Amino acid sequence: MSDTVISQDQKDKEAYFTAGQGQLIWTRFKKQKAAMVGAMVLAVLILSGLFAPFLTPYDPTIAGRDKEYLNGEPQIPKFWDENGFSARPFVYTYERQRSIKTNFRWQTTIDREARRYVVLLPKGDKYSYFGIEFETHLFGVDKGYIHLFGTDSTGKDIFSRTFHAINTSMAVGTIGVVIAFFMALMIGGVSGYYGGWIDSILQMITDAVRTIPTIPLFMALAAFIPAEWSAEERFFFISLLLGFIGWPTLARRVRTHLLAERSQEYVLAAQLCGASSGHVIRKHLLPSFTSYIIVDLIISFPYMVLSETALSFIGLGLKDPVNSLGVMLQNVTSADVLLNYQWYFIPVLFFITLVLAFVFVGDGLRDAADPYADTKK
Amino acid sequence: MAKFAHFVVLRALLAFFTLVVVSFIVFSLMELVPGDCAERYVAFKNSAGAAISIEDIEVERVRLGLDRPYIERWGKWIFNAFQGEFGDSCILRLNISQLLGQKFWLSLGICLSALALAYAIAIPVGIIAATSRNPYLNNGLRLVSYMGLALPNFLLALMIMLFSTVMFGDSLTGLFSKEFRDAPWDYARVMDFLSRAWLPVFILGWSATAFAIQTVRALMSDEIGKLYVTAAAARGVTGRKLLMRYPARHALSPIINSLGFDLNRIFNELPIVALILTLTEAGSLLIEALARSNDQQLAGAIIFFLTASIVTINFITDIILALTDPRIRSSILG
Repeated sequence: MSDTVISQDQKDKEAYFTAGQGQLIWTRFKKQKAAMVGAMVLAVLILSGLFAPFLTPYDPTIAGRDKEYLNGEPQIPKFWDENGFSARPFVYTYERQRSIKTNFRWQTTIDREARRYVVLLPKGDKYSYFGIEFETHLFGVDKGYIHLFGTDSTGKDIFSRTFHAINTSMAVGTIGVVIAFFMALMIGGVSGYYGGWIDSILQMITDAVRTIPTIPLFMALAAFIPAEWSAEERFFFISLLLGFIGWPTLARRVRTHLLAERSQEYVLAAQLCGASSGHVIRKHLLPSFTSYIIVDLIISFPYMVLSETALSFIGLGLKDPVNSLGVMLQNVTSADVLLNYQWYFIPVLFFITLVLAFVFVGDGLRDAADPYADTKK
Repeated sequence: MAKFAHFVVLRALLAFFTLVVVSFIVFSLMELVPGDCAERYVAFKNSAGAAISIEDIEVERVRLGLDRPYIERWGKWIFNAFQGEFGDSCILRLNISQLLGQKFWLSLGICLSALALAYAIAIPVGIIAATSRNPYLNNGLRLVSYMGLALPNFLLALMIMLFSTVMFGDSLTGLFSKEFRDAPWDYARVMDFLSRAWLPVFILGWSATAFAIQTVRALMSDEIGKLYVTAAAARGVTGRKLLMRYPARHALSPIINSLGFDLNRIFNELPIVALILTLTEAGSLLIEALARSNDQQLAGAIIFFLTASIVTINFITDIILALTDPRIRSSILG
């Protein structure tokens, strides 16, 4: 009896001591409920962003607009009304007209008799993955359009735009983080590995860059973008900027870590064996803190997304037809929107969820990547 | 004392050097903006109906000193900048220091109040969170600090506007009521200002508070587990006296140290919040300068002002730390 207990204990220990760093982090990560929930939400959101063209019924650009339903309120599918029950959910037909009766203002009337039934996998706007064109969407209606989150002032479907916007934000964030990462690695790496006067000068520059408030600086830079640039060019420029401004914090952490690590015995041993600086950095120092860097990257991701949102919001970032939360929020401060079209704010909920999920996962990973987390408590 | 003076001078030099580096970065960026002031001046004349030529632009360039080498112009700019003189705005054609003067102090006042509010809330709440074992309180606070990040200030401002418009029919924008906008400062105007300024202060303080609570809590929980606290408790010091005398004092130093960067974060949010709440008196001038008109002189001056106040705060906190923290004091005085 006690034999089996010991052997089980032994096995656990063996598994613990022979596990790779990745396995250890995963084991610790799994224990945190909030982080796991965050990870699942994040996975769902990212996947729905990636498959947005399929999951959403319409093209998010002006091509997919509904001319008959501008600034339209959200349509909620129903199963029954005064005209009877239907196993297939439906929405009503909305008609927009103006005449002398409405004083020549556009007015939308709801035709409760004309139902639009929800159908699965209808053919609609074209989209392409890897060069192959598709036109099947997850859902739609048999006649006309369906707008779960309503439409904006040009009749674009807010539901479709929201999911496409997740994609854009993730792309901007990824490019920004990757650039910031490489700059931080280069500058922080050189500064931390060589130390001495190189370190002092690089640190002074890093500190100076850190004292400039980023968003105002960012605005100054984004204002350079010539008006004739296409949406895609703007997109890459903005992502580049995010990266070029985001590196100092990360560079500092890389440097601190390298300064601590480079005086360790294993570095000395490698140097005594005749290893070059490049070899020591790549083979010995970098692997010693990859996990921290990854965690840092995930933590800095929401900041990138939020900076982009803020910038696009004031009109200096992305522009139509690229979709992002900031672009979608551009006109919401007008009294008209605040009073009459509150569904413009629905995408905000998705973005709060996205950022929160990132924060939870980042925090969980940070705790999980800390090798002393178990011994501390 | 001489050593302390030496330290202060050294710090001041370092702050000055940082400002010089920053000014170089800002100045270079402003140079990168397509077109220069001469072209804008002449373009203005053109729009007023005068015929212009390339020669006119060249003459204007010489008049403004834009034909001088890059380094020389930067030297001149920074020399004047330290005297608070930034020349004229390219578009508005007004003296920049006059234009910014009061607006800058108002903005700085709002940001500093937001910072003060953040720490007035965060220090007691953070200490309570670190010492309490109540899981509901802890999780609640954790959620609040997460919201501080996930609901950035400008979204919060939008939400508050949405709410107040729907509920009260007033969007709570602007820093002054209509009748006080251009009035001289007197009691009634101050009261009107205060009755409106709380909203931007609250919104700007929102994420700063969330961050600060997290920092205070982390620092306190680190310090509370240390042996000197146990030792003090063993000597019979208990309750609030124990917390205030030992771990709180230790936790305070890193907080003072990071004040400059907290202010940086608030400055980040200022222009956008100002735009949403239409605080024409504050940061939205920057957006105006950049987005609407490409006014590089004005934008450069504003960024320089913002950075200068952060560097100043950093300098002041360094001195405060040297005075209050015995560990740092002894390392300076040897």
